[in-house]
Amino acid sequence: MMKKLLLLIFLFSGFATLAQQTTPPPKRQVVGRDIGQLKGIRISGRIIDEITGEALVGATITVPELDLTRITDTNGFFELVLDRAEYNLTFRYVGYETVDYPITAVGDGRISIRMIQEDFQLDDVVIYGRDPEKNIRSTDMGAVTLSMNTMRELPPFFGEVDIVRSLATLPGVSQVGEASSGLNVRGGGVDQNLIQFGGAPIYNPSHMFGLFTAFNPDVVNDVTLYKAVVPARFGGRSSAILDIVPKAGSVDKWGVDLMAGTYTGKVSVNGPLIKDKVSILGGFRISYINWLLQTLTDPVLNNSNANFYDGNLVISAPISENNEFMYSYYTSYDDFAFASDTTISWKNTAHSLQWKSKFSEKLSMEALGFYSGYNFGVFNRSGINDFQINSDILDMGGKLFLTYSFSPTNKITFGGEYKQLEIQPGELIPGEQGEVLPRKVQNEFGREMAGHFQHEFELGEKLGFSYGLRYDFYQYLGARSVRQYAENQPISDGSAIGEINYSDGEVIQSYDGFGPRASIRYSFNKSTSIKAGYNKMYQFIHLISNTATIAPFDLWKLSDNYLKPQIADQYSLGFYKNFKGNIFETSIEIYYKDLQNVVEYKDGANLIVRNHIETELVPAQGQAYGAELYIKKNLGRLTGWISYTYSRALRRVITPYEEENINDGEWYASNFDKPNDLTVIGNYKVSTNTSISATVAYSTGRPVTFPQAKFDYSGNSLAYFDNRNQDRMPDFFRIDFATNFKLKGSGKFFEGDWTFSVLNVLGRKNPYSIFFGDAPGLPPQSLRLALLGVPLPSLSYAIKF
Amino acid sequence: MFRNWIYLFFFLLFGCIDPFPVEVPEGEQLLTVEGLIHSGPGPHTIVLSRSATYGSDLQSLIRPVVGATVIVRSEDGEVTFLSEREGVRGAYFTPTGWRAQIGKAYTLFIETPDGGLFSSLPERVESVPEIQSLGIRTVTIPQPGGGPERSGVQIIADIIDPADQNNFYFWRLGAANYILETRPELYTTPAPDRTPAPKDCCAVCYRADIPNNRGVFIAVDDDFNGLSTRIPVGFVEDDGLRFVNKYRVDVKQYSISQNAYRFLRLVKQQAEISGSIFDPPPANIRGNMISLNNPDEVVLGYFMAAGEASRRIYIDQAELTFKQNRAIIPDDCRVVPNATIDPPFDWNPNE
Repeated sequence: MMKKLLLLIFLFSGFATLAQQTTPPPKRQVVGRDIGQLKGIRISGRIIDEITGEALVGATITVPELDLTRITDTNGFFELVLDRAEYNLTFRYVGYETVDYPITAVGDGRISIRMIQEDFQLDDVVIYGRDPEKNIRSTDMGAVTLSMNTMRELPPFFGEVDIVRSLATLPGVSQVGEASSGLNVRGGGVDQNLIQFGGAPIYNPSHMFGLFTAFNPDVVNDVTLYKAVVPARFGGRSSAILDIVPKAGSVDKWGVDLMAGTYTGKVSVNGPLIKDKVSILGGFRISYINWLLQTLTDPVLNNSNANFYDGNLVISAPISENNEFMYSYYTSYDDFAFASDTTISWKNTAHSLQWKSKFSEKLSMEALGFYSGYNFGVFNRSGINDFQINSDILDMGGKLFLTYSFSPTNKITFGGEYKQLEIQPGELIPGEQGEVLPRKVQNEFGREMAGHFQHEFELGEKLGFSYGLRYDFYQYLGARSVRQYAENQPISDGSAIGEINYSDGEVIQSYDGFGPRASIRYSFNKSTSIKAGYNKMYQFIHLISNTATIAPFDLWKLSDNYLKPQIADQYSLGFYKNFKGNIFETSIEIYYKDLQNVVEYKDGANLIVRNHIETELVPAQGQAYGAELYIKKNLGRLTGWISYTYSRALRRVITPYEEENINDGEWYASNFDKPNDLTVIGNYKVSTNTSISATVAYSTGRPVTFPQAKFDYSGNSLAYFDNRNQDRMPDFFRIDFATNFKLKGSGKFFEGDWTFSVLNVLGRKNPYSIFFGDAPGLPPQSLRLALLGVPLPSLSYAIKF
Repeated sequence: MFRNWIYLFFFLLFGCIDPFPVEVPEGEQLLTVEGLIHSGPGPHTIVLSRSATYGSDLQSLIRPVVGATVIVRSEDGEVTFLSEREGVRGAYFTPTGWRAQIGKAYTLFIETPDGGLFSSLPERVESVPEIQSLGIRTVTIPQPGGGPERSGVQIIADIIDPADQNNFYFWRLGAANYILETRPELYTTPAPDRTPAPKDCCAVCYRADIPNNRGVFIAVDDDFNGLSTRIPVGFVEDDGLRFVNKYRVDVKQYSISQNAYRFLRLVKQQAEISGSIFDPPPANIRGNMISLNNPDEVVLGYFMAAGEASRRIYIDQAELTFKQNRAIIPDDCRVVPNATIDPPFDWNPNE
């Protein structure tokens, strides 16, 4: 407790010292060829990094005279349409020094802006997303963009920036435990988030069961999480959208990033394929844990393996100022065995091709095609009845939307998307000596279509509106034989009465629904606003997992006759205020979410390679509500944030059959219900080259089921469990610490970065789980599994040239 | 140092399990029924006990239920009383010679001394295929940290599964005997003297062994319906004595009902819980017993009725590919409990 207090004091004391920035007033530039034009002057430009020449994506250009803001595209381009006048343009980009650029616009013209990284100039750190006032001014609610520069300020996890873990520090976002992949956003399950990389959905974003996130931070430009009002162009999952935008390579010159850490190494190369036209970026990251394991003599570890890698390729082609293509390829692979004959492997693959086009000043288009695959395998080579279980998902489709801007503060977006899904839920293949029957669960086929429309506009300075509608249509398709069950009986093997066969492509079941989205913003002034929002989302694919976290061998299942789509309604209300010229950003948001048709499991459900999995599932209702408090210091030697969430995430299962009800049909806590959740993050820049950072995380222990009694059966002492999740694990508390030294190389072409970090500085054994076991030689008792139960140091060295 | 890091890393992930007392609710004293009647020779036993608070303190001992009336009734009305025996508290035995008949359904009735009336749901005795043959496989269990490996013998049965029915199998190890070899010539007088006093007899005995049936061996024929298959059906740990010469054990194969299988699967799941991050959440293990006085009363355990097939295997020490160091007993083998100089009447390793 004392340590927590000290850190808080340390954090707040830093808030008082604000660095001042003084630069001489810049000279006004005359832009354009003066032919006497008065209106509709088009000024285009490009923003690049002074040192590397890389385009700065998502940098903001503000024209205070017109109260206008523009953002550079993926190649750093922007365009302004102005009247003949003087303007005081400001260019901002995360981690870069702000550029004030006064101009006199006299005709069509071009400007080129070179921005300098703060590191080279100041002792300050800037962690705002793209636009410092965006949180106040936009109608977006619960949308958080974290740039890589922001994430780099957090203490690294095993020496590296970790996207998923970085997001989990935000209010309303949590993880089940320390080795768990995926996020729980506002009381939603991990499968209720659409995680997309370059527009393609990714099904298992983790390495080593969630200890590492399977995205190489060097190829990511930024990450946006929509947790409240999700724009109508996104859908298909009921809680949140995590949009990861890959980074484009430099169209100017070649560069290499290398990093060697304690457990992984990575390299990325980027540069122009065709100068100023086409760039390429390739990244590869690999763990060397396996190689280290092989050198050990301990039989348990020597019998284990843990491989993983991920690779990326991004080709970006800004072929003209109005047309740009980007191709992204992503893959990640894991295989893992721990002192056993069973190996688990999993692999993601995603391709996407995006085309952005600007038809006119007002009309632009984005088109995307994607292909995403996920598969896992379980290989058993015990020498008796060897087998292998395989499962795959194929998800491919396209999206297209158009944006028409009536004015800078009034635009509509509309479009549609189509995708096709195929899931092989499991195939058991006997090994060579195996005397088991091959078994294959029927493939599932589905189709999702959506049309969407969104209108965003402002009424004066004070009011902003955004409303939209998305129509989702889903079909579950043959070929398939669908088992029928007797009416008025629970769905079980015993109540099966026959099967109906559907032919290839025949529609077995359809679902559709309208998902309205709306938000309203009222600004009291430039630094204070309130917003309210509502949205409804549909989800047609479900993660069938009987563990609290995503396991690589968890199945995804499409909605069918028995498993209805998940539907989420969310209401949110927020108050936003920035202080001291956006140095401090604060917000309070409250929300209420209602979920229908969440998947729950019958007791002891058996989910592996099963044809009639509906017999193991029961539909649940969900309810989540909470209040989120966020205080962030964006700039200065000390930056960081405090996020506190009070929330509940509840489930209820009421069926017509009493025996299938869970906890007698009462509301109970979901596996990830953690009412109090506090994160404090601070990053202090000691000098130009050195910074230290710390994260303090506290949360209520997650729910757990304690036994009501013990009984003996078959020589085993067993626990009798009654109602689910009625007890709690001890509270979670962890402090992480990191220090970073930058070594400046000679001149501009070399720089190095040493990062030393310690996870769990206090060495607290936070239980990941509490379970009840009857191990030989010990009395039956409660046991604790603690991951990261000791301070865990790691060291990494990264260079760039 | 670096190796230790990696080592640490793995145990952070998987090995860091320690006792962690939590306050569990005071356990209810629920009636627990463990019983299996089958078509094989008896006597068959039904064991009754009362559950207790989960935890290690001695206050919460599981107590046997004595003095109950226990009846098995077949679907055609045949009623069999089970009786207690001296010295085995809480166990109720069928009369000598009684067997369950294939194809018939049986129901268990219990009246406890406090007046509680309980009944099972009916369980039907299904036919069971023979065990074609038995084989073994040596299994080693590496110990974390590089300690001495545990090892033992996994018994593997060859069965031909009938194609015309959905079979649920359950295996247990029955009576076992082995040749016990001791070193009487190394005998010393008791402490403090410890002077060598070699004995002339006896170095070789036959010892009766009670196999530990903690591991739950079950299977469903989804993967081998109608096929000949090999399945692990039991495990005997090598304690340094059992596999010095010859070991003999009877393997019992039972055809249980689908619900009994589901029950045992949950028992197995709980017994094998490892604390890994992918363990399934605790499940309510529901049995087939109900209280007739109070339908809401929870009764634990399961009453099973099954067909039985039995087969015997003799395991020669030479068949093991890995053995524990031989345990030395420096005394006459006859002083070892359950050991005699005479072989069991049906000891015939060459059968």
